[in-house]
Amino acid sequence: MPPPLQSLDFFQDSYELRIAQLKEEREKGIKIVGTFCLYVPDEIIFAAGADRIVLCGGKADTVPLAEQSLPRNICPLIKSSFGAVIDACCGGNLACPHVPLVDVVVAEATCDGKKKMYEMLSDYIPTYVLDLPQKPGSPEALDYFLSELRKFGKFMEGLTGNVVRNDALRREIRSANETKRLLHRLFELRKRDPPPIRGSEVLRVMQKQFFLSPDQFRQGVSRLCEEMEHATPDARTGPRIMISGCPMAAGNTKVADIIEQKGGVIVVEESCTGTRSFWDLVDEERDPWKALAERYLEIPCACMTPNDQRVARIVDLAKQYDVQGVVYYTLQFCHAYNIERFRVQRTLKKEKIPMLAIESDYGDSDLEQIGIRVDAFLEMIA
Amino acid sequence: MISAGIDAGAATTKVLLFQDMEIRGYRIAGTAFDFVTAAGNMFDSLLASCNIGREEVGNVYATGYGRNSISFADKSISEITAHAKGVSFLFPEVRGIIDVGGQDSKVIAIEDGKVVDFLMNDKCAAGTGKFLEYTAKALEVPINDLGGLALASHHPASITSMCTVFAESEVISLRARGITKEDIAAGLIASIAQRVGVMAKRMGLKEHIAFVGGVAKNAGMKVILEKELGVTLYVPFEPQITGALGAAIVGQGNR
Repeated sequence: MPPPLQSLDFFQDSYELRIAQLKEEREKGIKIVGTFCLYVPDEIIFAAGADRIVLCGGKADTVPLAEQSLPRNICPLIKSSFGAVIDACCGGNLACPHVPLVDVVVAEATCDGKKKMYEMLSDYIPTYVLDLPQKPGSPEALDYFLSELRKFGKFMEGLTGNVVRNDALRREIRSANETKRLLHRLFELRKRDPPPIRGSEVLRVMQKQFFLSPDQFRQGVSRLCEEMEHATPDARTGPRIMISGCPMAAGNTKVADIIEQKGGVIVVEESCTGTRSFWDLVDEERDPWKALAERYLEIPCACMTPNDQRVARIVDLAKQYDVQGVVYYTLQFCHAYNIERFRVQRTLKKEKIPMLAIESDYGDSDLEQIGIRVDAFLEMIA
Repeated sequence: MISAGIDAGAATTKVLLFQDMEIRGYRIAGTAFDFVTAAGNMFDSLLASCNIGREEVGNVYATGYGRNSISFADKSISEITAHAKGVSFLFPEVRGIIDVGGQDSKVIAIEDGKVVDFLMNDKCAAGTGKFLEYTAKALEVPINDLGGLALASHHPASITSMCTVFAESEVISLRARGITKEDIAAGLIASIAQRVGVMAKRMGLKEHIAFVGGVAKNAGMKVILEKELGVTLYVPFEPQITGALGAAIVGQGNR
């Protein structure tokens, strides 16, 4: 395992700073948007002069509270997110300290569970839902999403009283692209063998991407990259592993931690808390709205159909990062990723890349069951 | 060299001694609450009965759910790898393994004695020995008689509940409707066979399949599972020891 990197402390230390910054902004009248998902473009929020913060969705504590209203058999991310908001709105102190900081939640029409949960969320906090086409591969879908983004722009203008100007949007696109390029640099370093950073450490960094301000986040990532470039990690403890599947929201590092405890070396994550946020850049030359619409529809989320681009991406990443096995991770009851597993498995089999499927929630009851599967998988591919 | 395999399973513990490509002896007992001490005692009594001193044993390898707690073991391996090694030793031609144990069931695909893929069900008791144990109790039939009873059935009942607790109440309501014990037993076994069969088909197992684990001792289960899969299953002389055997073989160092 690589020795701990000093620059990771930056991400820990910046938490309090960021909370203080958001409080200060609110006092000045700057609007704060709470988000849950990659499909909501930061660029538009910032161009409207607002700030944003991702809301918690990876903690187990708020699940029982959510289950007072939501069915038990839906995904833990939805339950945890909902529980975090209603707890905060009812003066509880269980989970998400970000909720009291936001003026509005900007949600997105992704999976069925989230859509219906957002309806209930609007009883507690102002909630705006960005619609998404489900078949992103057509010009009509692109037109529709473009109109949705413009509508969202208008909404942000109404919220902040600022006009979303094209030059501001271009500036924010360039800024977000800069973050994406930095993350490419970070992930490029993980191609080294042995990699200079643990996968669970990268995951914890990625979980802060939409929490910190872009400046703060970039500062942390570039320090990290510099340190990684000169790091001399110890030999690998086990096979190179890719994680692919559902997001691991802040608070949820369960499966990554188990893989590493068992000796697996995670080198890349094809997920919302991995490559999906930064892999594709936004075209800086084109009309900014169109460029955003095109880029955001390229996110290979399993709520889209068909989603062949994701399967192709997984194979490509597996080769680029020279992985010996893929751990396909799904949140319990996440139908989209659970079903898509079959096609991913079939393709990986053809490519002779071994895959282990793990479905889990946020509880600790299955640590041993996951452990035995991971042990067996690592023995199998060693 | 003499090596030992300890399979500390959720329901039963198995201890086995291996030397010169032969099984020297083994023990099977229910897993105790203090399973580490119990496994140690089983190991000692097995050594004594085989007339082997503790110091003569080169490597002790542990497997099963309690594998990491067996303090007297030199190393631990997963039961997936262990079963593959054990079964391949007994039946070198085998390409797939179905293991139905006390609290989990698994399906393993193997090529040249090496695991190439596996599937496990262990989130609940459905499709495991526990399912049979509970439902046999509801039928007031000793678990060992369940298989024979099932084979005497002409019209197997349809058991729709996969949940062990609900299946128990389903058994009682079938009984209340006057369905015979034979037909209910056949229904229970068919429901497990179907569940395990789906796992095997999903893994692409076609022929040369071994059936191991405590439930493989159930004759009715073997017959119905064979029908479900359309193959003759290989069942070892003692289906519960393949994990311990595999661990002991890995302990020989010929991985």
